[in-house]
Amino acid sequence: MRASISQFAYAVRTFWQGLRQWCGDSAYETYLACAQRQPAKKPMSPTEFYVEQLNRKYSRPNRCC
Amino acid sequence: MKRFLQILIWTAVAALGAVALGTIAFHRGEAINATWFVLAAACFYLVAFRFYSAFIAAKLLALDNSRATPAERHDDGRDFVPTNKWVLFGHHFAAIAGPGPLVGPTLAAQFGYLPGTLWLIVGAAFAGCVQDFVILFCSIRRDGKSLGEMARDEVSKRGGFIAQLAVLAIMVILLGVIALVVVNALKSSPWATFTLAMTIPIALLLGLYLRFLRPGRVLEASIIGVALVLFVVVAGQWVADSPALAKVFTLSGVALALWIIAYGFAASALPVWLLLAPRDYLSAFIKAGAIFSLAAGILLVRPLVLMPPLTRFVDGTGPVFAGKIFPFCFITIACGAISGFHSLISSGTTPKMIQREGQARFIGYGAMLMESFVGVMAMVAACAMTPGVYFAINSPASIVGATPEAAATTISSWGYPLTAGTMTGLAHAVGEQTLLNRAGGAPSLAVGMAQIFSSTIGGERLLSIWYHFAIMFEALFILTVLDAGTRVGRFMIQELGGRLWKPFGRTNWMPAVILSSAIIVGLWGYFLYQGVVDPLGGINSLWPLFGISNQLLAAVALVVATTILLKMGRLKWIWVTLVPMAWLVIITMTASYQKIFSPNVRIGFLSQASALAAQIASGRIAAAIIADTQRNIFNLRLDAAVTAVLAAMILVLIVEALAQWYAILSRGKEPVLHETPFVATQWAEGD
Repeated sequence: MRASISQFAYAVRTFWQGLRQWCGDSAYETYLACAQRQPAKKPMSPTEFYVEQLNRKYSRPNRCC
Repeated sequence: MKRFLQILIWTAVAALGAVALGTIAFHRGEAINATWFVLAAACFYLVAFRFYSAFIAAKLLALDNSRATPAERHDDGRDFVPTNKWVLFGHHFAAIAGPGPLVGPTLAAQFGYLPGTLWLIVGAAFAGCVQDFVILFCSIRRDGKSLGEMARDEVSKRGGFIAQLAVLAIMVILLGVIALVVVNALKSSPWATFTLAMTIPIALLLGLYLRFLRPGRVLEASIIGVALVLFVVVAGQWVADSPALAKVFTLSGVALALWIIAYGFAASALPVWLLLAPRDYLSAFIKAGAIFSLAAGILLVRPLVLMPPLTRFVDGTGPVFAGKIFPFCFITIACGAISGFHSLISSGTTPKMIQREGQARFIGYGAMLMESFVGVMAMVAACAMTPGVYFAINSPASIVGATPEAAATTISSWGYPLTAGTMTGLAHAVGEQTLLNRAGGAPSLAVGMAQIFSSTIGGERLLSIWYHFAIMFEALFILTVLDAGTRVGRFMIQELGGRLWKPFGRTNWMPAVILSSAIIVGLWGYFLYQGVVDPLGGINSLWPLFGISNQLLAAVALVVATTILLKMGRLKWIWVTLVPMAWLVIITMTASYQKIFSPNVRIGFLSQASALAAQIASGRIAAAIIADTQRNIFNLRLDAAVTAVLAAMILVLIVEALAQWYAILSRGKEPVLHETPFVATQWAEGD
């Protein structure tokens, strides 16, 4: 029973993480983890990252017909 | 034993698919259940994915999981982000799935369910999926380079420039025609217009929330946004019921076109975080929800497909658009089977996020199979309504008449029984004043979806809510393509203009932003306007133009892919890309020729222009509409010129590529491949 519950919890957690990644909710966390590997550069704030990311994303074809 | 079981299972899947395909192909007489369509498509896709995509991965591309992908080599947490393959599949599918696979099959249903369904299934497996998969692979091997860059590096400089121009031209036509679909869906509908208009303040609200209150918290903002959008779908009914408010939101086609043009300009010129991005978030969630609901609805309701396998309009006299099955069914279906635009996504974001080369098969080939399935569902939804109703909704007034009585008489005379009361009753049931003459596919698809949804939840009582939910869903994500496309078009114009005058290329310099936004909006706005005022409904001229341009772009992508594969020495398996490329060239060139030169005035742009000019010359056109007719003649000649230029550009690119191929095959020139050098992955297997 306990194993089933933990399996279910794992599945829910995986789905939730996937959903956050898919919609971009966790993009800043991903960026920060990457930026911490390069300590020479000061990482952007959440707002700076959000705006900069959108400007890049919507400057190339990202939605199809 | 395990192998024997595998063989047994795959034999059973293949046999079931063959039976289902055979049933929908040879069934005559009574209505057929939609379950056969789902079974045929699902089994065919499974077999194609298991065997054909595996063959391409192993023999043609020789995918190499030991090679580090761009996401691993350049991991920067911004563009290059190693992403779980399921999440990336969702990303890629959300990016490639637009209104095309919904609208195209709905329009092609005028030939009957069979030609469109077969091309959706077979075309996707052997052409669309191959294009997406191979271009994704080529881009991964080139650090995520775009199609234009690959064309320049691998074909020729001129080829790259042509590909870039073709993309811009196609974008302009695409945006004009999808805006026309929205106009035809919202015309004279206060409920639908109000609902869609309210998505703009909702998006602005989300934009401010995400920028200032909770930066980047997309999920919570989207939940709030989706709840508000669902509320305004219901609130639209109150607006439609209030005479004063209904008057405000009852707009003509021209007025709607002008509003959409103004919206496109605003979305392009305003900061992206304010309007464009939050709308995209809303659209992504609603799109995913609506597509899954439609799939679930079809499986639960298992509707009967009432459209015959082949209609009398296979002879080219169709009221929705003119032209025979070959080539017009193929260019009308477009994105559900193969879309040139996908090659821009496959050579855009996705290659920069993929973890392993081997995943290109699942993401590139698999996501396109799913898009094709969306097309099959749209075909089922359109064909589940009685053919008479389908033709009444999708035919222009100049062919079937503008009143229910006239439409019923004309359509019944074609052999598709329809009464005036059926159309009046249906319009009333979905909360509209009329459903006649709404060419474009969106309203008929919405009626089909609403009938399927209401059979699952709510019955007749909720038919009007479901109809307006479906219209909102279609219009919302069409507008998302429109605003994102306008902005990208603006960047392309700035890039081209920047070559002539440097300051124009600065994307943060306001005069350049405003001017380039005005140019791109003016270009697609012109096509939109000409479609709105076209007496044949616009779709007859513009959708084939869109289909031709989209399929031409696919031909460009396959030319680039074939060149790269030849340089890689894969001559033995080159037919994998060469055959679909040749097929696309044949259908697009035939369609282009017919659209320009056909003597049939409903098909040929020039013959229609000449016929109108002759009518003016002989005094058969009333003085009051001579100016309108002259503008119509100009538009028809313009459409002919645009078609000719597009076809000529692609022919030049093909000639460039043929010269390359000859040089490679005759060993006159050592092939130079612009791949990034091999770097071994540092990730362990299973990372």
